[in-house]
Amino acid sequence: MDESGFDSRQPDSDVPVGREGPMDRSRRLFLQAAGILIAGRILPDGLGVARPPSQSGKEQKIVLVIIGGVRRAETFSPEGFVNIPHLYGDLLPSSLFYQHVRNEGVTAHFNAISSILTGNWQRVDDWGKLAPTTPTLFEQFRKRRLVDRSHTWVVASNKALTSQIGASSDPNYGPGYGANVVFPKQLLLAAVVEALRAGRTSNLADREKVEAELENAMQVGNYEGLGWNVFDSSDQLDPAVRTMVGTAVSDFVHGGGPTSGDELTYFVSREVMRRFAPRVLVVVLSDVEAAHFGSYAMHLAGIRSADRLTWQIWQEVQTNPAYCGNTTMIVLPEFGRDPDGSTTNGFFNHRANHDSTRDTWMMTLGAAIDGPQMVERPIRHVDLCPTLVALLGCPALDAQGTIIEEFRS
Amino acid sequence: MTQTDAGIDEKLKKALEQGVVARLPLTFLPFVNQQLKQWDYLFPNERRSVERLLLYVAEIPQPDSEKLFRDVVELENKMGVRGWRFSTREQTILNSSQLASTPYFEEWRRAVRAVFDVADGYAIQQEQTMAAPVHRLILIDLPRVLPVDAEHVWRAWQGIGRPLQLDLESRSNFPSAFESLIMGSRSRSDRFTGGLLDVARARAGASPSDTWTIDAGASVVDYLLDQQPPAAPASSTVVLSYARLDLYRKSFSHEMNTMRKDLADADAVFDRLRQVDVGPWCPPEVSGRPVVREFLRSLFLSGNGAVIFGNSFVEWAASEAFRRARPSFLAARFGVRSKPKPFTGAAIFENPEQVNPLPAVDDLEGSVADAQILAFYIWLAASRFEEYRNSTVCVCIAENIAQARLVAPPEFYISQEAKPVQIDRLGQALRDWMA
Repeated sequence: MDESGFDSRQPDSDVPVGREGPMDRSRRLFLQAAGILIAGRILPDGLGVARPPSQSGKEQKIVLVIIGGVRRAETFSPEGFVNIPHLYGDLLPSSLFYQHVRNEGVTAHFNAISSILTGNWQRVDDWGKLAPTTPTLFEQFRKRRLVDRSHTWVVASNKALTSQIGASSDPNYGPGYGANVVFPKQLLLAAVVEALRAGRTSNLADREKVEAELENAMQVGNYEGLGWNVFDSSDQLDPAVRTMVGTAVSDFVHGGGPTSGDELTYFVSREVMRRFAPRVLVVVLSDVEAAHFGSYAMHLAGIRSADRLTWQIWQEVQTNPAYCGNTTMIVLPEFGRDPDGSTTNGFFNHRANHDSTRDTWMMTLGAAIDGPQMVERPIRHVDLCPTLVALLGCPALDAQGTIIEEFRS
Repeated sequence: MTQTDAGIDEKLKKALEQGVVARLPLTFLPFVNQQLKQWDYLFPNERRSVERLLLYVAEIPQPDSEKLFRDVVELENKMGVRGWRFSTREQTILNSSQLASTPYFEEWRRAVRAVFDVADGYAIQQEQTMAAPVHRLILIDLPRVLPVDAEHVWRAWQGIGRPLQLDLESRSNFPSAFESLIMGSRSRSDRFTGGLLDVARARAGASPSDTWTIDAGASVVDYLLDQQPPAAPASSTVVLSYARLDLYRKSFSHEMNTMRKDLADADAVFDRLRQVDVGPWCPPEVSGRPVVREFLRSLFLSGNGAVIFGNSFVEWAASEAFRRARPSFLAARFGVRSKPKPFTGAAIFENPEQVNPLPAVDDLEGSVADAQILAFYIWLAASRFEEYRNSTVCVCIAENIAQARLVAPPEFYISQEAKPVQIDRLGQALRDWMA
């Protein structure tokens, strides 16, 4: 009922209760973080200061990590820092950090991510039945620079995405210039469902057999049933991609670490970097969305795992010769979550028209930044795409977003 | 206007016959038509809201109703609603998605709210007398099994209310203060009397939807059902037990998991779930109460983890009870959920026992984190409504540390108590408040 707005008649219904004002919080955060940045500036090279811009002549690469809905209160706030030890403690000191990044569009997954990727506020349906209406970062880059599809990838956990996220419906661009799109978590879910259907659930308690179930899910019939779109429309997965995913699955199953959807997304992303070294890689992490089921503990665990996996992706950037020194990594949430006391049940959802849902943050690391910096000026989600397009050496299209000035093209 | 539990009021019937619905804007129709269709399954409070709107529109001349709806209609035109695949029969996921996707959504919500405010204001003026505020009570339990600690347990409450030390030695024959408070003490006839439930049920004018007990497990509801006099089986209050609803939940989950990522299909599944006979899935305390049975159906359809986790069920059921039924007494008990199992935990919507043979392991730490914030959300959900703002006592008991969080108006006489409060004394104070 609340979806239609009929339960929103109560005064102050979207106002969080008992929270300090956003300006108080941001000032405090700024002061604390500024202290960290100053510390970063006085550390020896390589121990906190951003790397100098690429001098190697290697081509610019972009790794964009998009995390699902997280509130400032649970992340970049004094009480939230405990959930993001890597983002706050390890990466912030060497980052260009935007304190206020606005999602002014639809705060649902497909529209939010496609707005980030196109530079225009997208208002297509929430479930990815329709492609974004204006060209994505991938299409602009591939068409302008005649780049092969293997150089643009989306690896995503989020169930609300479809392969339509990889290309727009713009007749001058479209799927011919789109990105490869894979959903590793969908593989996990398909394996569970198939094992359940076939009466093999005992396999899901045994690591060796789990691996076999995952491989089976990848190989059965039409892999597009997983929602993936890789290289071509063939109903068989490209052998190189199958090998790549197989390695990622093996590492995931036998690594002994956590076994969430984001974990598998990380392993697949890492393998994509190692085998294809794409110029543009978008990683979407969504364990935080356990919040929809009302488990605050699982939501926080999702934040901690996104924090750790983002750190691990940055480690891969630093150690992988194809990426080291020439890569810009950007980390930002799709949106926040609703404030405590909202009609939309607080952290469970992300539908309230409130700063708690719309005002997020963004961290930039690596080649495109001059050094650590804290920016208080608000920017918007749609500003990122034109900025990255410029970073890739392409002329900007007419879009709602504008180039962010602190990035060095 | 007198509101009864059964049937549509004569005045409203006449307004409907005179075509009042045709005077409503397009975007009002899904809500109003659905409410009218489900009239028998609405709580008195919900009926009142629709009645006020329709009777007001029916009483004012056409030009005035056009003026009332002008902003909404203008926004509908800007949004292009007439060009949408928009159901006027009932609220659908597609309707909501289309509305939320327009840049005018928030403006539209404000315009809708303004219309209801006018209708409510008119009704209150017509009724001339404002009913005296009813004293209300919300009792929440973090049971002993949840290992909360005094440093963190009230952090989510952000300074709202104050901690109250409890003396748990006097908790009657029950294993918990919560049960003792709601059930009272054992009488000579081996029945329990003097509990808060007795007081709530005995209040003048109390309807069956005025008193709710919501349990993440089953023990409290089992006690209550055991104590019901045979002549009044489970009908004098609403009792919901997550554990006792196991079959309902699992059957619902099974249906929902067939839903595809397609809006039309999702609405089709919702349609099917709205129509399926859930009677065979219900425990007796629910199957005999159509309004409660349908409350659960819409609760499970609206998500928020109510099908998945007991604590989410407790919080969301309580929130929806406040929104829809405005109970004067609500008791809610949280519990423990299991840890996600390796590999299959990602399939959070599937029954974990079914998809993974590994034994379930209690997640005590996670359950504490969930219950602490969800307990606060119960209070927040109530405090959104005027009825609860200045006339409600909310007590959240943390049994493990013999503490409670108390939110109460100053006139609640143990508000300022500094010494540990005996359960008997707390019970008496709460009974006095309710009486």
